[in-house]
Amino acid sequence: MTQETVQEAAPPPEPGPLAKLLQELLPSVGFTIRETPLDETVTISRDDFLAVMETLKGHERLRFDFLRCVSGVDYLTELETVYHFYSFEHGYKLAVKVRCPYDDPHVPTVSHLWTAANWLERETQEMYGIVFDGHPDLRPLLTEEGMGYFPLRKSHPLADIEEWQEGYLSAIDEAKRQAASASGEAPPPMSKVEIAQAKAKLMKEARDKARAEGLSPEDEKAAVRAAIDKFNEDLESGQAGGGAAAPAPMSKVELAQAKAKVITKARNEARAKGMSTEDEKAFVAEALKKFSEEQDAGGAPAAAPKKEMSKVELAQAKAKVITKARNEARAKEMSTEDEKKFVAEALKKFSAEQG
Amino acid sequence: MATIDYTIPGEPDLETLDIHVNVGPQHPATHGVFRMVLTIDGELVTDLDPVIGYMHRGNEKLPENCDYRQVIGYHDRTDYLAQFNTEHCYVEAVEKLTGIKPTERSEYIRVILAELNRITSHLMFIGAFSSDVGIFGTAFMYAFRDREFVQDFFEEITGERMMFNYFRPGGVAWDVPDDFRERCTQVIDRINSGLKDLEGMIVDNEIVLARCRGLSRVSTEDAINWGLSGPLLRATGLEYDLRKAEPYSIYDRFEFDIPTGKDGDVYDRVIMRLEEMKQSVRIVEQALADMPDGPIMAEGMKRTLRVPEGEVYMRVEGPRGEYGVYLVGTGTDKPYRHKVRAASFCNLSALRAMSIGNYVSDVIVILGSIDIVLGEVDR
Repeated sequence: MTQETVQEAAPPPEPGPLAKLLQELLPSVGFTIRETPLDETVTISRDDFLAVMETLKGHERLRFDFLRCVSGVDYLTELETVYHFYSFEHGYKLAVKVRCPYDDPHVPTVSHLWTAANWLERETQEMYGIVFDGHPDLRPLLTEEGMGYFPLRKSHPLADIEEWQEGYLSAIDEAKRQAASASGEAPPPMSKVEIAQAKAKLMKEARDKARAEGLSPEDEKAAVRAAIDKFNEDLESGQAGGGAAAPAPMSKVELAQAKAKVITKARNEARAKGMSTEDEKAFVAEALKKFSEEQDAGGAPAAAPKKEMSKVELAQAKAKVITKARNEARAKEMSTEDEKKFVAEALKKFSAEQG
Repeated sequence: MATIDYTIPGEPDLETLDIHVNVGPQHPATHGVFRMVLTIDGELVTDLDPVIGYMHRGNEKLPENCDYRQVIGYHDRTDYLAQFNTEHCYVEAVEKLTGIKPTERSEYIRVILAELNRITSHLMFIGAFSSDVGIFGTAFMYAFRDREFVQDFFEEITGERMMFNYFRPGGVAWDVPDDFRERCTQVIDRINSGLKDLEGMIVDNEIVLARCRGLSRVSTEDAINWGLSGPLLRATGLEYDLRKAEPYSIYDRFEFDIPTGKDGDVYDRVIMRLEEMKQSVRIVEQALADMPDGPIMAEGMKRTLRVPEGEVYMRVEGPRGEYGVYLVGTGTDKPYRHKVRAASFCNLSALRAMSIGNYVSDVIVILGSIDIVLGEVDR
């Protein structure tokens, strides 16, 4: 284990009376001293740990008989265990720290010296994954057994749910944009979250700028307001331009609405021309046909570059193939055996296509 | 404890099985969501396995995402019967790291409220414990009548009945009402008269004497090794109180005694709490007489409180024992590590050793005498 000095830039603090006493009693052990309020704090290496602990408990000039607290701390590359002691006989107060590497989180137990360590070590073990070698009973205390992760480690973040969702949503948007650019389509417009983020950034910039220029609060507000207005304008024109260049594929609802519009328009036209009911129907049908053809032509490029399907899509496509094959077989009035064979063949063909 | 010989002369040896009895988690005698698995031999408890964690809410992890002032609310929710004491510990820890000096007036307000909180917590103990030993009704009502009176007083000051969130690094959130002295005197009078009632009810009570005397004796040496603190440790005869041993806040200005027991049995633990309430009243009276006027918040407090790099283990004498906060700051506005040393947690870890060899009904009394608060045990 590397013995890291916790304070780096500052010169090492003067050892207190207790640290001096420890150095005198245990000359072979290296103590790293850190100044903390209330207690004297020393860091020792894991190899010296048990010897130091036994001396702390047993030596008549120390007699640390009261173990107040055991805390784990996650320093990202190393895990630290902190022991706080009190000596009723001498009134000494001491904190002892020991570090262990992340991939070898083992520290000898002290529960045979202080019974109080039993539960404190159990709790540290379940929260940090520090294994206290020789502990009689290391079952988790506050959490369920076999949880598989250590909740108080920094690798188990407790992010705000909004933050998490925000990251999640922007990751999805990013993936969509990449897929779209790969297939040669125009990038989709900004998501709501992105717009809000961009706006917040802009507002902050405008405010900082105004403050740097020393504007009055009213002017500052006006400046921010102007920045937001400009942003909104840009956003609208930008979206309009993008829409003209390459229309995004319509959603189902939009499609239905557009269809309804076509029908209404055609019907009105027909009525204006004074057509008969039959002719009107035919006219509308033709307009609709034309509309769908247009839609198909617009949607065609999207189908051309074959994208890798997701698992769910794959399963859905498979299910479609199966249903189609079965219906075909039934239409041909095949026997059950033949139907099964037919479906299997269709599936095989599908898989071969998918590669 | 004597072991009972079950073998009947002339009978072949029969194979016997231990009986396991689950007590809790929803059991009135376990004072919350606490479960213990008793292994019994007839009425005799041969093993005990406490099961905790039903109320674990991540009270040590949540503050790592909170501003230093937001954390105060979480301390109300650890030991929810001694909120002022826990808040006191936390704000002192932050003050130790930042070097903020709380104002004189706020120090006095803190001490008065913390001591009154100790009294309400002990009243709660006496009420619940008397039901555990079998004095139903009267003692409980005496205790809760007075506790409610103090609780109303707290509500007048903080606006909250339970989750006060009143102390701040550097002072308190707002000044106390104008009639603070007057009301505080009323509260003290009420407690004094209530304490007389309770003493008459508990100290020489036949039930208490019969059930608690000599039960679960603990030596000082064992108590220290098991990590006991507070009334449990003092009941063994050790005169140790953090308010005197390591005076924090302004406790060095007041005169008060540390009551100690002789035998370390359950009876001593109960008497300890009755005596402590009297000492708390003494402190409140002195603090009230000395309380100065002036600001309630230190000058130059920033909106965002940044704690410089450093660490501290701050501890205070809570009603249940040593309540500690191990705080690691890294120069940001959020704690890097925030560990709570809960007195009940450490005291409860000794339940097994205290209980083995006693009868099932006595284990309930022993558990009651530890005075656990599950919010603090599970955090």
